[in-house]
Parts: sequence; C-alpha cells; structure tokens
Amino acid sequence: MKLIENYVRSLINETIDKGITRVSYDQYIENLFELVPATKKVGIINLVELVMRATQGTPVPRPLGSHLHFSPWEKLLFNPVHLFRFPTPENVGIDTSVTIGNNTRKPLTLSIPIMIAAMSFGGALSKSAKIALAKGASMAGTATNTGEAGLMEEERAAASLLIGQYNRGGWMNTPEKYNRLDAIEIQLGQGAQGSSPQRTSVKNIGEDYREVFELSEGEDAVIHSRLPGVYNKEDFIQLVRKLKDETGVPVGLKIAASHHLEKELEIALEAEVDFVTVDGAEGGTHGGAPTLQDDMGLPTLFSISRAAQFFINKQVFKKTNIIATGGLVTPGQILKAMALGADAVYIGTAAVMALVSEQMVETVPFEPPTSLVVYTGKMTDTLDIDKGARSLSRYLNACVKEMELVAISMGRTALSEVAKSDLCSLDPFLSKATGVKLGYISDEEQGRFFSESQSFFSPYSPHVEQNSGTVSQPH
Amino acid sequence: MDQKELLNTLSYLSSEISRIETMAGTLSSIEKEHYNKLAGFDHNELRDVAVEEHSASRQLGTIKQMCVSMNQKITNLEESLKNS
Repeated sequence: MKLIENYVRSLINETIDKGITRVSYDQYIENLFELVPATKKVGIINLVELVMRATQGTPVPRPLGSHLHFSPWEKLLFNPVHLFRFPTPENVGIDTSVTIGNNTRKPLTLSIPIMIAAMSFGGALSKSAKIALAKGASMAGTATNTGEAGLMEEERAAASLLIGQYNRGGWMNTPEKYNRLDAIEIQLGQGAQGSSPQRTSVKNIGEDYREVFELSEGEDAVIHSRLPGVYNKEDFIQLVRKLKDETGVPVGLKIAASHHLEKELEIALEAEVDFVTVDGAEGGTHGGAPTLQDDMGLPTLFSISRAAQFFINKQVFKKTNIIATGGLVTPGQILKAMALGADAVYIGTAAVMALVSEQMVETVPFEPPTSLVVYTGKMTDTLDIDKGARSLSRYLNACVKEMELVAISMGRTALSEVAKSDLCSLDPFLSKATGVKLGYISDEEQGRFFSESQSFFSPYSPHVEQNSGTVSQPH
Repeated sequence: MDQKELLNTLSYLSSEISRIETMAGTLSSIEKEHYNKLAGFDHNELRDVAVEEHSASRQLGTIKQMCVSMNQKITNLEESLKNS
C-alpha cells in the first residue's frame, strides 16, 4: 500500500512539475494556459455552446432556461414587526389559499399560491413525470398545467386541479378537451422562447405522444408563432369570450413579458380575461435557443411590478389575477413576487428538481438527473412516480411553511395580505421603478433623499427634431 | 317556488355553509396541531404523515375561505331578492 502511495505521489509530482515547466517556458501563443484566459473571456457556457453550434450547425436547445439572473430579488428585503404592529400570534393560522377568477361561474381555488408550471408531455416531460407532478400538486392542494400539449388522460385523472393551455399547436383547442379543464390559459408565448415557433421532429415522437397530440404517423409536432385563428385583436377578444361562455372556468392569457407589456395587457383587459400569466425572461424550457433565453424578454420582477401598477391604474388589481412565473426558485422570491402584486406563481425548474431530488442518485454520475423526467430521457422508466410526488409535496409544504413564517413576522394573517409596504429596497433605482421604499433611509426621509438626488433619476427626454420628426440623443 | 320560499332556502343554505365553515376551521386547527406534533419526530414515515396533515390543514382552511365566499354570494342574492 505504501509502495502504491509513493508511486502515485511521485507520478503527481512529476506531472505537476512538467505542467508548470511547460506553462512557464512555452510561448503564450502556443501555451496550454491560453485556454484559461480564453475561456474566461468567452465564458465556459458560451464556449461549450459555441462548440455545439460549430458541431451541429443548428440552434442548440439549452434545457431549463437562462442561467442569467436578471431579477434583483436579493435587493428586496421583508420588514419584520415587533411593536409598531405586532407579529401574528403563533396559534393563528395563516391563510394560504388563493382564488383565481373570482367572478367566473367556476372559480379556481387553490390551497397554496404555488402552482406547477406549464411543462408539456412529450415536448418536454415524460408521461410518468407529468403524472408525478400532477399527484404532487394534488397532494398539496394546488394545480398543475398541461403545457402546450393535448389532454393526457392519466394527467387529468391524477390532477385534482388542471390548467390547460389553449395552444399554438392546436392540440387542446377543441371543446371536448378544454371543457374538461379547471382553467384555460391561452398560450401566446413563454419567457424562455418568446413567441418563436418550435418543432418536435418525428424521430422524437413516440406512440403515446402521437396519441395525445393526435398526430398522424410521420408528422412533426409544430408550435406556430401565432395562435391558429387569432390574426388580430378582435379574434383574440372573441376567443376569450367564447371560451368563458362555453366553459365557465377562469380563462387567462400567458405571454412572455416584454417592454410592450402594458400594450399587451390593455388588449387582455379589453377581452376581459380572468387572469394574466406573465412569464419573465428567466423562464425555463425543455430546450430552447440560448439567444431566446438570454437576450429577450423582461425580468420577472419588473414584469410583476409593471403588470400590478397597470392593473391598479385600470382599477382591476386583484379582480383580474396576476400569475407570475420565470425563474422563481426560493420561497422568499415567491413571497416577494406576491408582495409586488402577483396573486399566485408557477414554478417549473424548481418543481422538477424537487421531484427528482431523492431519486437523482439513480442517474448521477453517468447521466444528468433530468434523464429521469424528460420525454427523450434514457431513464424515464426508472422514475418512481409516488416517491417523486411525495418529494414535490414535501417541497411545496416546506416552501409555504417558510412563507407563513415570514407572514407571521410581518403581522399578516394571509399570504395574500403581504404587500409592497412589507418590503424595503437596497437599490434607489429599484425603489423608483417598483415603488418599494428605499431601505437606506427612513420613511420620512424618502422625499428629501429623492429630491436631493433628482439629477440621478431625471427621466430620459429625447429631443425631437421638429422638422424631421426624428429623435436624437440629448447633448 | 315563491319568493318567501326562495329566501328561506337561501337562509337554510347560508346557515349550513356557516356550519361547514366552522367545522372546517376547527378541523384545520386540529390538523395543524397534529402536524406540529408529528414534525417533531425523527422518523421519515411520520414526517410524511406530518406533511399530509399540514396539507390537509391548508385544504380545510381553503374550504373555510370558499364557504365565506359562498355565503357572501348568498347574502348578495338575498339582498337583491328582497329589493326586487
């Protein structure tokens, strides 16, 4: 044993010595070390994706969405109370329920404000993963979402509350399917992919997939950039009214949030949707082009604050519900989203991770944990549905319990009571943008602070050249 | 069904819903207590039961809220009937 140890030590020593010598003496241009600054310059993720593009010649389908953190959640903090307002006594239960579509014939009442995001069977997840998500959600008293798919009987049976997407592929868009849903979400886009078209090639379509999507043999599954049948605003308004009349369940709109948010919401309100799902730029996907994920959309935090402000201005705040989604992982982020105006949230990536958490030992180190759950994964057959459902249920329970603890500390008796005034901000620009008070200074000093530092916040005012009508930068 | 009979029926529904609301609230508190007790055990199966109890407590809380909403609708209906 000692002999082997000495041999290994000597081998390591020799290798490192040679490595250091080569790095020291080789010209930089042919030095192996050039990989370090080059990788740092390009970024490890960009480098690998660059290589993938060069190898495959097509957009690379990166799973689970952007790795960039656009929303500065860490710059918002909750305000506990002690005397000014008393914390909630611990024997008082915190109301965690939320109702979507209060004014509909069949409102959707959830026991917790966290739902499972739209992740389609086939396009994204395996049948067993979808069933496990539905079971886990039902155990926690919440809803799951079909994603852009047809109606899968097993998912419908496992989900006590099922939100279905009226989708751009057209697979849920017939009365015999959407009449069996507890809410309908008209899917016009998603945070990770905008409104871009998507195609699942026939080689990735199995018999069960074809059955749920009602595809013929040899047919690709295509998600169009536009919803079939909706070519102008009036078409959309008519569609919403038709679905509301026919079903009586809440009918909402899902969009990828963008700087045009208010213009999109204006039309949604004209159509009298019951809820709007705003999917921020951090939204996940089973696989999408990195450019769509990293370079397009509006961060979730600002999507929520802007949507809430718009609804307040239009006097529909809390009447038309806001469902927030996109990169929400921690209970803190979820509660902050609610404080900014969201009635409920969807979680996708976090739900899948919770689902496989106990079972990831089955895959690593030779396969990623996602191979248990994605439709084309190599190990989907080994996923234990009930175990996964229990993991998800425990995760949801723990998240909501943590949110309840924060609510108690802020003297609230319902999660839906948590508001902007329960937050403070650590960034003046964030304060200005969201209306959350700046934590650096007292409530009374806010006006003085912002008036004294007005030059930093003066709005951009483009000078319009009167004759040409073109816009130029201020001098 | 004449108006008086309709009002009586609504009143009956309202009182029964109030009973359900009270029962759901009580059961929710009991389930929450069970969760608090069970969560203290260092045993995986008991912890799973605790999580189920907690979830049941929340769902009973939700039933209570649904009852409150239903009673509100019944009150509105009664008022509009009386005014008609």
